[in-house]
Amino acid sequence: MLPQSHIDELRAAVGADGLITGESQLQTYECDGLTNFRILPGAVVLPRSAAQVQAVVRICARHKIPFVSRGAGTGLSGGALPAAGGVVISLARMNRILEVDIANRYVVVEPGVINAHVTARVAPQGYFYAPDPSSQSVCTIGGNVAENSGGAHCLKYGFTVTHTLGLEVVLPNGEIVQLGSPTLDAPGYDLTGVFVGSEGTLGVTTKVILRIVKRPEVVQTLLAAFNSPHAAGQTVSDIIAAGMLPSALEIMDALAIEAAEAAVHANYPVCGGLLLVELDGPSSEVEALMSEVRAICSKNGAQQVRVAQSDQERALVWKGRKAAFAAMGRISPNYIVQDGVIPRTALPSVLSEIDRMASAAGLRVANVFHAGDGNLHPLVLYDRAIAGQEELALDLSYRILHLCVDNGGSITGEHGVGKEKQEALGYMFSEPDLATMQLVRCAFDPENIANPDKVFPRTRLCAAEIPGPYTPHPLETAGIAEIF
Amino acid sequence: MTSTTGFTVQECAAQLAGIAGETHSEVAGEIVTVAPVDAAQIAQILRVADANAVSVTPFGNGTKAGWGNPVAPGIRLSLKRMNSLREHPWQDMTCTVEAGCTWASMQAELAQHGQMVALDPLWPARATVGGIVATNDSGAMRLKYGGLRDLIIGMTIVLADGTIAKTGGKVVKNVAGYDLHKLMTGSFGTLGVITEVNFRLHPAETAARTWTATAPDALQFAEPLRILLDTQMTPSSIQLRAGKLQSALDVRIATRPEAFDEQATRLRRIFGQIELRDSVNEVWQARQQLFDQADRVILKASLRSSDVCSVSSELQHWTAKQEFDFDLTAQATGLMTVALNIQADAAPGLLDQLRSRLKASGGSVIALRIPESIRAGLDVWGCDSNALALMREIKRRFDPNRTLNPGRFVGNI
Repeated sequence: MLPQSHIDELRAAVGADGLITGESQLQTYECDGLTNFRILPGAVVLPRSAAQVQAVVRICARHKIPFVSRGAGTGLSGGALPAAGGVVISLARMNRILEVDIANRYVVVEPGVINAHVTARVAPQGYFYAPDPSSQSVCTIGGNVAENSGGAHCLKYGFTVTHTLGLEVVLPNGEIVQLGSPTLDAPGYDLTGVFVGSEGTLGVTTKVILRIVKRPEVVQTLLAAFNSPHAAGQTVSDIIAAGMLPSALEIMDALAIEAAEAAVHANYPVCGGLLLVELDGPSSEVEALMSEVRAICSKNGAQQVRVAQSDQERALVWKGRKAAFAAMGRISPNYIVQDGVIPRTALPSVLSEIDRMASAAGLRVANVFHAGDGNLHPLVLYDRAIAGQEELALDLSYRILHLCVDNGGSITGEHGVGKEKQEALGYMFSEPDLATMQLVRCAFDPENIANPDKVFPRTRLCAAEIPGPYTPHPLETAGIAEIF
Repeated sequence: MTSTTGFTVQECAAQLAGIAGETHSEVAGEIVTVAPVDAAQIAQILRVADANAVSVTPFGNGTKAGWGNPVAPGIRLSLKRMNSLREHPWQDMTCTVEAGCTWASMQAELAQHGQMVALDPLWPARATVGGIVATNDSGAMRLKYGGLRDLIIGMTIVLADGTIAKTGGKVVKNVAGYDLHKLMTGSFGTLGVITEVNFRLHPAETAARTWTATAPDALQFAEPLRILLDTQMTPSSIQLRAGKLQSALDVRIATRPEAFDEQATRLRRIFGQIELRDSVNEVWQARQQLFDQADRVILKASLRSSDVCSVSSELQHWTAKQEFDFDLTAQATGLMTVALNIQADAAPGLLDQLRSRLKASGGSVIALRIPESIRAGLDVWGCDSNALALMREIKRRFDPNRTLNPGRFVGNI
């Protein structure tokens, strides 16, 4: 716990209404979207300005108090899990959009601005903010920057880092620095590029310059039903091989379709593998490409191909897709969400291997994935009430990640490493790779107080902190947000 | 060769020959050139250099060797033997290429499967992947496809102490660990030697057309450019070319052949009274041509895209009353290359003027090429970032003995 003198300093920095120390209130902050990890922080501060963040970080630096910055707490890898007895810096009150520059296609926002609010602000001028994690109605830009968030449309539009031109950051020593600029290629190292995706381990974001993108003229969404995810996967390869770059290419297998249908009645065809293709761009181009996509689907044995006929129908298609995780609760008492990436061509063999591994373990695995970029979200279904099944499920989910790495992929495409995959990072990268990353960490945070004990492997894990299965986030249970 | 340990050129050459082979190490004056064949040899060479306080300059074909501050003579680490496209899993639309491979030879191989790294750097026939990445060069295609930071998905680097590290991976979507490849991109070889780069690929632009509009004053393009960038059209490149008395705006669109006429109609509507004609692909060589005359001072300016035409026009008006001449190209992304035909002693004044003009809107100006006679008194980089101390600390952690390109980068890093 924090000594009273430190609490007093924090109160002086953010005011009495910006400080939380009561245990019941602190419990709100004890976890993020990875709810099976819970640690009570020593205090939570709710600064209203960069100067207040700076004051808090200076106090932390002076007393070597670990701090964890936090947006909406929707992260799925435990990145916002507090440090025991440390300070949580909630950026929720720094939620202003500071500048909108349509002519130069950027906006400047505070970190607590909600992702979807950026698009809402620039939509009247025909623009949008491209990264669209499924939690976008509640997750914040600061959290997106920390995690380098993606979404279904990053195949074409890229990730948070693609759209981040610059940052204002409070470094772990309390200094404020500007990284990047609204203009490209500012002289010096690309520290913006390094900071985005560093999961809160390099400092606290207090301002973000984001690129915005003109809305495409036309968006078309096609659904194709196949006998198996393999046939859907082959179709994806053929679409890419034909030189197309759709804005989204998503696959769901039979289990995922069943769950999504049960949850939101998306009117999906009943099939073994459902492919969702979204094309956008100038109308003449999209129409021509869509007929090519139809032909490729037919060639690969699609039983049914249909294009959403209205915005409402398209929204429903996406609603089903985005609800797929949460929908698992309808077909299984418990489940674990994973987030691996493989080269697209490895899709058929990896899917077969996951099937084999699941059968051998006596478990079911539902598959939902961003097929265009090889980002798998296997959902390992199990029943905690059956003795030993949770351990089996956990083991299977980690073996799936190893399978991804063995196939030349990654342990995370968008959820981050956080607390959950610290050890898996050591499976993906060798010692020299990790030591080199630590050079950056040490340059930014020599005292190791910014979100310590995350991302990088530990020498050992305490029994109480072994990564675990998925339990729904309160926001999800309440139907406010979906997870990806 | 400068070495605080008394290490001589001959001793150095002998040791490096022992690593890379007699035929791949040579002495020219104070410089020892060595051409290793793999990352392991580079690690050995760097350990020798690091232990003897000899500076190392990674070297491709030297097309941008004069960029940045000069480096004391030491070891020239040539990547010329590491020049192959290692992997091209074309169905995954990624590739792994060695740093010494020239841009054009890489693209030629990728083109066999109708793919490309979507970037148009300077001197593709000679410039190498490593040099292009180290200097973060990019051309007009950046408008549609982004810059190197958006195209590089992984890298292998060797640090000054010989550590061989991989960063990122071979998949496009990956958020595991820090993106060290973004730190390395544009770091001018001051943090490590890039030995391999993994790129994400795009389909090659099989059908593309260019249109050009001309007008005397660059300011006349301000409104058409603003409108064009605000439409839902998706040009792959837009560039302004301007000289003392004339200017032109080039637009390149890659789409399906049947869509070109409609695109042309839309463009004509945007340009209104300004005549727009079908143009040739060669106009996209304009940036490179600015470097052709060796006596020109070359500046790289970064500005807001809404300022591209007005700043160009200001230069036109300003030089109209001056003795000197200039030519520039500016991409719609706001990156401008200016070639000045100017007396050496007048260059610093103009550089300062341009810097103060652009500073208010977050812009910057780097002097890419300047006459040796004025170099000493000039700030090549013009970096006034308040993160400079942090950049120095990163350099100190990566290269504590200042072995790699010491002094070449911003703030004398």
